[in-house]
Amino acid sequence: MNRPNRSTRRHFLASHAASLTGLAMASVIRDEGLRAAPSKPALETPTFDTRPKEPHHEPRARAMISLWMQGGPSHHDLFDPKPEMAKYDGQPFPGEIKYDNAAQASSKVFASPWRFAKHGKCGTEISELLPHTAGIVDDITLIRSMHTGVNNHGQSIRALQTGRILAGRATVGSWLVYGLGTESRDLPAFMALVDPGQLPVLGVENWSNGWLPAIYQGTVVRPTEPRILNLDAPAHLQGTPQRRSLDLLESLNARHLSDHPGELDLQARMASYDLAARMQSAAKEALDVSRETKATQSMYGLDESATRDYGTRCLIARRLVERGVRFVQVYTANQLWDSHGSIRSRLPAACTKVDKPAAALVRDLEARGLLDSTVVHWGGEMGRLPVVQNDTGPKKIGRDHNTYGFSSWVAGGGFKRGHVHGATDEWGHKAVEDPVGHADYHATLLHLFGVEHDRLVYERGSREMTLTDGQDCRVVEGLIESV
Amino acid sequence: MRDSLLAVALTAVAVVVRADEAKPVFERDVRPVLRAACFHCHGEDEELAGGLDLRLRRLMVTGGESGSAIDPGDPDSSYLLDRIRSGEMPPEGAGHVSEEDVATIERWIAAGAPTLRPEPEKIGRGLLITAEDRSWWSFQPVERPAVPRVQRPELVATPIDAFLLAKLEAEGLSFSSPAERRTLIRRLSFSLRGLPPSPEEVAAFEADTSPAAWERLVDRFLASPAYGERWGRHWLDVAGYADSEGVVEADVQRKWAWKYRDWVVNALNDDMPYDQFVREQLAGDELLGRPPSELTEDEVARLTATGFLRTAPDGTASGGLDPGVARNQVVADTIEIVGSSLLGMTVQCAQCHEHRYDPIPQADYYALRAVFEPALDWKAWKTPPQRLVSLETEADRSRAAEIEAEAKQIEAKRSEQQAKAIEAVFQRELAKLPDDEREAASTARKTEAKKRTDEQKALLRKYPSLNVSAGSLYLYDKKAADALKKLADQAAAVRRRKPRTQFVRALVEPAGHAPSTFLFHRGDHEQPKEKVQPAGLTVLRTSDSSPIPADDPSLDSTGRRLAFANHLVSGRHPLVARVVVNRLWRHHFGRGLVATPGDFGRLGERPTHPELLDWFADELVRSGWSLKHLHRRILLSSAYQQSSTRTVEQRTADPENTLLGGFRMQRLEAEVLRDSLLALSGRINRKPFGPPIPVMADRVGQWVIGKENLNAGRPGAVIPMKGEEFRRSIYVEARRSRPLAVLEVFDLPRMEPHCNARSSSTVAPQSLLLVNGPFVVEASAALAKRVTAEAGDADADRVRLAWRLVYSRDPRDEELAVATAFLAEQTADLATRAGEKDAPATQALASLCQVLLGSNEFLYVD
Repeated sequence: MNRPNRSTRRHFLASHAASLTGLAMASVIRDEGLRAAPSKPALETPTFDTRPKEPHHEPRARAMISLWMQGGPSHHDLFDPKPEMAKYDGQPFPGEIKYDNAAQASSKVFASPWRFAKHGKCGTEISELLPHTAGIVDDITLIRSMHTGVNNHGQSIRALQTGRILAGRATVGSWLVYGLGTESRDLPAFMALVDPGQLPVLGVENWSNGWLPAIYQGTVVRPTEPRILNLDAPAHLQGTPQRRSLDLLESLNARHLSDHPGELDLQARMASYDLAARMQSAAKEALDVSRETKATQSMYGLDESATRDYGTRCLIARRLVERGVRFVQVYTANQLWDSHGSIRSRLPAACTKVDKPAAALVRDLEARGLLDSTVVHWGGEMGRLPVVQNDTGPKKIGRDHNTYGFSSWVAGGGFKRGHVHGATDEWGHKAVEDPVGHADYHATLLHLFGVEHDRLVYERGSREMTLTDGQDCRVVEGLIESV
Repeated sequence: MRDSLLAVALTAVAVVVRADEAKPVFERDVRPVLRAACFHCHGEDEELAGGLDLRLRRLMVTGGESGSAIDPGDPDSSYLLDRIRSGEMPPEGAGHVSEEDVATIERWIAAGAPTLRPEPEKIGRGLLITAEDRSWWSFQPVERPAVPRVQRPELVATPIDAFLLAKLEAEGLSFSSPAERRTLIRRLSFSLRGLPPSPEEVAAFEADTSPAAWERLVDRFLASPAYGERWGRHWLDVAGYADSEGVVEADVQRKWAWKYRDWVVNALNDDMPYDQFVREQLAGDELLGRPPSELTEDEVARLTATGFLRTAPDGTASGGLDPGVARNQVVADTIEIVGSSLLGMTVQCAQCHEHRYDPIPQADYYALRAVFEPALDWKAWKTPPQRLVSLETEADRSRAAEIEAEAKQIEAKRSEQQAKAIEAVFQRELAKLPDDEREAASTARKTEAKKRTDEQKALLRKYPSLNVSAGSLYLYDKKAADALKKLADQAAAVRRRKPRTQFVRALVEPAGHAPSTFLFHRGDHEQPKEKVQPAGLTVLRTSDSSPIPADDPSLDSTGRRLAFANHLVSGRHPLVARVVVNRLWRHHFGRGLVATPGDFGRLGERPTHPELLDWFADELVRSGWSLKHLHRRILLSSAYQQSSTRTVEQRTADPENTLLGGFRMQRLEAEVLRDSLLALSGRINRKPFGPPIPVMADRVGQWVIGKENLNAGRPGAVIPMKGEEFRRSIYVEARRSRPLAVLEVFDLPRMEPHCNARSSSTVAPQSLLLVNGPFVVEASAALAKRVTAEAGDADADRVRLAWRLVYSRDPRDEELAVATAFLAEQTADLATRAGEKDAPATQALASLCQVLLGSNEFLYVD
């Protein structure tokens, strides 16, 4: 949107922040301002924005789409074949197991009832439940050694989404936007595409900015049209009248801010008006999948009822990163993958919903030359146990939580192609070979974005906060494609 | 088990040892680390992992299967340290021992692993509460501290100021200058009434220069019925109030929950003493002392108060859920609500195991559960429909019978008239027949249909007009039929006078019902372990006996909740008063003295002004638990009346304004924003109380106010709301699955199960709503209409009034110039696109109003 009358705002930006372009404002102020005069704290409260920032080193990835499989997809049945377990099917499990639901616990070994086969040039083994994913194995890295070690949804979700099991921290998307800003001026930098069913476990925490300033919060895209409410100006105000209104609003707000210096929330609200104005045209266009060809639409499964919803959201995610959005997360419904019971029917249904759209997303990004710079992540907060839960008949049985070893896959943005990383023990219970904890995963992710996890800092009062929060972790070189 | 545990803890308190501050000691420095990271497997669980118990120093020396865990004096040969250093322990995810903590353990072992005092001979299973645990700040008795001396006593208006100023002065700071009068009245009006002051109120206050003007204003606003609506909302957040059951997608409505909402509003308006407020909500049914029938108005109110214990999401009547799981979840949520709203403790963290951070053993959690078990017994469960208590009285019933008799009389008269009319019509029709057939026809009609001969049937068929009946009478004799209809209407009208039965959604403990409560292993209701007696938190107990009886013989019910409530509001409970005064503080100043209003434990924040918190808590009890008294103490303080603009020095020295050297800006809460838009546009409907205003989906699926009128699953015609849509937000249906769109985007909390502290976000959807949302566009148009009607035709007058209404001040000269220029340009532009009915000048004014309503000066209270 054009704004002829921006002098007040320009003045504000120039005096506060416009000349600063380093990584995240707070650390700039610490580095530049405080180093020069350590005894005297900064007189101006830092300001925050989402303009692009320089990373620490040359990035491989510029955007990320996380396909968030909440509930804990059963790695035994999807990604991590253990054919030897068939011999022990139904017999007592020989080792120690930590159950979440003691009431329904059983120690009977549960060999996967589904077949695995090798696929692609790389020969990665994938279950028959994921035929489309099997078709992209040459483009992805399958991590078979994920672990967080906390056996319930909430805490494990927090570990993977916010770096720690405690509540109240900032999510990965917020960190990326805080550190790197966004290349889109017209769309929110971090968008959350929620499922039409219930929100995933922890709801809005999944896109929370925690204690980071509010402008780094994820913006929710509604699961049905209209996907963003109130995008259209009232008919009689469209065009010049509304622009005139917004200009007046901006000058009133600027004057108000000058009377209340240092109030971050007032600044954030001014920025959110700017963004809202630009979104009016940009978001409509970005969210409109009808602009895609029939072929693209059907590749994502938009013409089939089982895949239409998730496919549409995956396609929107691609359109968003194409337009410079930094981080998009596409959620499945509350506990879709939490197969405590009836796994024989529930798991195939969950797979059908996401398999085709997820594979289409990777192929589509690759075809458009975007995969090299876009990380795609597919995974949830946990896997399942090698033993039966709810031993009340073959139709009803399921598997309990397991966060000691599970699978996720990643693609693009510098991750290896056609690769399998790590392994669980012979029972698929614990990650034993090249384990990747949540903090390792985060450190590696930030590294691909050109950011060092221990140097992306936010000062919260007197404390220095990071995503990995001093946990023992490393950039997992084994996941990264050599240049 | 419990008793021995307590005895051990008490003995430990008795021994007081002064520790050498520099050297680490077990109880103070090492135990908290091991407790958070290790005790779960090495001490608290039934089976000790590796046979190792780390809860006492001597048990560490004894060691487990791998031998001694520590070798006092020699860190390098201490197995415990070895395992921690190598990262093998604690296992992934069980916790983390920081390098600093490892160093502390190392120094402690090197120093010979000293303890503060001799360790107990015996140790029970589970969590041992130590003297260090008991010494936590929020567990100490409230003691009224002396009001500190300050350098500038002229700034002290109430003792609160002295406490705040003492800390500010210690940092070389002071209060900010007093706020302008128009700022003050705006602040006060939003804070106490949740609505902006009217321009007349602002002008009157600015003109009233008497020293008592502020106090008078405070008292007037405190006495406004809007006060209870504003502050009732704060309590309903904490209580988790909702008008629906939640849990499953159907989200069934709670038809009578609103009576509890009204009870809260009334209680606050009446300044019901907080002790009574708590007592009635926890034990209103037990206060009746008898089964709930033939209730007086007061008794109904008490019973209604127990709605507090019925707010938790409840899927027990929704089907499709395991009843055991669903019921126990309701109990757990209720305990969580009670724990954090009244005690400010996260007791729910002790449901499955000992609390990791606070000295709340798992047994304490179940002792608290035992307080509620007789009324919330998952094995003798009352589903939501079953827990409605009918308020019908004997008098109601006999009145209903009288009315019914009256109606019956009218109906009898009607039947008689009807028979006569039919007979008259028949005779008339009969007269039309040939003479020789009349008698036969008359006989045929009198004969019962089944017994008629073929001839008779043929005869009646031949003359169909003879078949006059009650249903066809109107075709023959409209007048008679109308008269009959009138009588029927009369009977119906009489019946409508019957008293409509009212219900309350209450918690009523059945007489003589005292089920056992068991500790559930890992929180699993299918694994009951030892029996637990009702009790308060062990760490707060000063004597060996529980203040809560298992069964009070003087009552029909067990008396557990009543005793628990009395224990809480005895005036000696260290948490209850602190927790509520902190909440009150928080709503006035935007941040509590304790920043975590629902957690006064180790994971919560420490109080910024502990003495002030105690003084204030004591003040509450001394005042006879009057919340309005506390409001006055705050509102009359200099601290409350300061400007929100702090100097650079102040902002530098105290970036987060924890010392309160200036008022803290706050964004309008969701309901305040909506209500204020309605008030400013002159449309607000101030009708209080009653069933909630319904919420429905509009055609794009947004939740808006309206009566659902679905047609084949899609929204049908809109049913007029007759002004109900303009009522205050507290009266809008709080259906969990249908958060009103205009409120939700401004951080309306989800009650899952309740909300301790709202968040305040700043996101683009809020801006979009303020710029394009129909609710705001309509409010702006209504405001423009009002301004036009009240200010006349001159643009300058309109601008002035708009400023006074929205900002509670006059526009500055340059603002007046900019705004009138805006109106002229906007009008000219809109005129080029106007239809016949549009008035460009009014539309332009509406767009100006909308700018003001979306601006930060309106959206924030400073």
